[in-house]
Amino acid sequence: MEPSRDTHATLVDLLDRILDKGLVINADIIISVAGIPLIGVNLRAALAGMETMLKYGVMQAWDEKSRAWEREYRKKNVPSLVEGEEIVLKMYGSYYYSKGIYNAWRPGYFYLTNKRLILYRQDFDEITFQMPLEEIKALVIREEAHFVKEKKKQVLYLIDKQDRVYRLSAVETNQLKDTIVQNLTASGLSLEKSPVLPEFEEGPIDFLIEGEEVTHRGEKVWYLVPASGIQQETWRPGHLYLTNKRLCWWYDFERKLVFDVPVNRIVSVNTEMRKLSGLDSKREKVLDVAYKFNSTKAIASFSGGRQVDEWVEALNRTIYGKIDEETETCPQCGGLAPAKELLEQGCSSCGWVSHRLKNKINKSALLAE
Amino acid sequence: MAEARYIYCIVEGSEEITLGNIGIEGSSIHTIPYQDLCAVVHNCLSEPYKSEDQEKVKLWLTTHAKVVEVAWERFGTVLPLGFDTIIKGEEGVAPDENIKKWLKDDYENLRQKLAKLKDRAEFGVQVFWDPKIISEGLIETNPEIKKLSEEIKSKSKGLAYMYKQKLENLLKKEMEKEADRYFKDFYGQIKRCVDEIKVEKTKKLEEDKQMLLNLSCLLFKEKSKILGEELEKINNMKGFFVRFTGPWPPYSFV
Repeated sequence: MEPSRDTHATLVDLLDRILDKGLVINADIIISVAGIPLIGVNLRAALAGMETMLKYGVMQAWDEKSRAWEREYRKKNVPSLVEGEEIVLKMYGSYYYSKGIYNAWRPGYFYLTNKRLILYRQDFDEITFQMPLEEIKALVIREEAHFVKEKKKQVLYLIDKQDRVYRLSAVETNQLKDTIVQNLTASGLSLEKSPVLPEFEEGPIDFLIEGEEVTHRGEKVWYLVPASGIQQETWRPGHLYLTNKRLCWWYDFERKLVFDVPVNRIVSVNTEMRKLSGLDSKREKVLDVAYKFNSTKAIASFSGGRQVDEWVEALNRTIYGKIDEETETCPQCGGLAPAKELLEQGCSSCGWVSHRLKNKINKSALLAE
Repeated sequence: MAEARYIYCIVEGSEEITLGNIGIEGSSIHTIPYQDLCAVVHNCLSEPYKSEDQEKVKLWLTTHAKVVEVAWERFGTVLPLGFDTIIKGEEGVAPDENIKKWLKDDYENLRQKLAKLKDRAEFGVQVFWDPKIISEGLIETNPEIKKLSEEIKSKSKGLAYMYKQKLENLLKKEMEKEADRYFKDFYGQIKRCVDEIKVEKTKKLEEDKQMLLNLSCLLFKEKSKILGEELEKINNMKGFFVRFTGPWPPYSFV
């Protein structure tokens, strides 16, 4: 066996030696070469990678495969149509798919033909939504809060002859609607005038406890979710509900209550103009709700643009309304509660009861025996 | 910026000579002697060579290797330095003075190293095995593994799965034992043909080949044939592969 050198494959062996080895001068007469090994590491990785790839022809195969995929992909970017069907309009959009726990806007291209409205996903050659034109009973456009803050989204509600409602959204929702209407008219079909749209709940209110009623609600409100673990504090979209008992914030994505505080624990409500993120230079009005928490004070921050003022008003009405009927602090947990309630029922948050009440309960228990 | 000297290697010699513009980025290479030792250098600025451009760095590295190579051929014995070793000057002291002072201070040590490396070269030896072939062989030859793999065939699907896990664990353990054994065998075989050996870290290069041992060997240049014959034997074993590289300047033995 002969030793080999001066080939591409042995270059790595040589470079390993030049980068890591060689005579070391143990003196302060050499200049610092910090950072140099880094170049070496990168270079070595690149060399090793290159070698392996060339050996296995990985690059060539990958290249060929990706080209083939691309060719197929281009071929399939139109949904298959029935005979005599013609495409009238193509527009990027999405359809709100909701089934069980799965809720999402599924994107694709709307194809309006002389026969159907189709939502087509070309990546998967899949029709995710389709509706024969003659099945369309009514179309309504509504403005709704967009996921992106302060942005409105035009949502097209399509109601079919079975009164099922579909939510659609497109780049130009108005144009999509108008074109559908034109097509319907052209085929001698008509839509119901002034249709009634069933009310939609953005966030389901199934978290209410007995005797609890929502007294104030609004559009999307962002809550500054406190830092936990490695997760920094972050603004998240959801909905805020004020009930006769609590202030609750529902997290849209996780579909659950993330924050709630009894109304009688809210100490104060303030607003402040603040930057919401480091990237944004714009200041926004932020609602700070201070409340008693484990004998200290905590603050929950919400933002929701113009709605903030309405929330301040609603909260003040509730808190000061309650405070008027004489609030006292619980001697055990420090929570605020109406004095009457504290004396007659005990503290609702920590379970404290007054001596007098305790005696009374004991006495009635004795009597019962 | 202050002047400095990029140093490639130390050689035996007492003359101040030039080797031409063969250095990094075409710089002129010359020697700085102290008694019978010379530093092979080029004049540079007092800052390291660094770049994000890999092609550029690669060129620097190969040029460094080339200069050491030329010096090696011309002076017979070299003490190579790693890339980017630059000797600076100090206030009132020229870089050349610093080099001479270092050669003087380290003279005995450097002379000893040169003596040890005389007429010798470094060779790289890497032995790989194909784990698939080796494990197939083990199934045939190891009675315990053989028994287990026979038993699997008669088991139900669920039991066969359990047995397979057991077999894999056993196989892994035996493979490690084998690797250990072969390492010692090969090391012994190679050791007999060389003056000095350095065990390097094994590297993962390819999927179907595992590096079993990675050695840098120092030996007389002429004796590489004997080592080659020994490696040939290993290379001929089923499932084993040998990479034999060199001769390199003795980077690993300075």
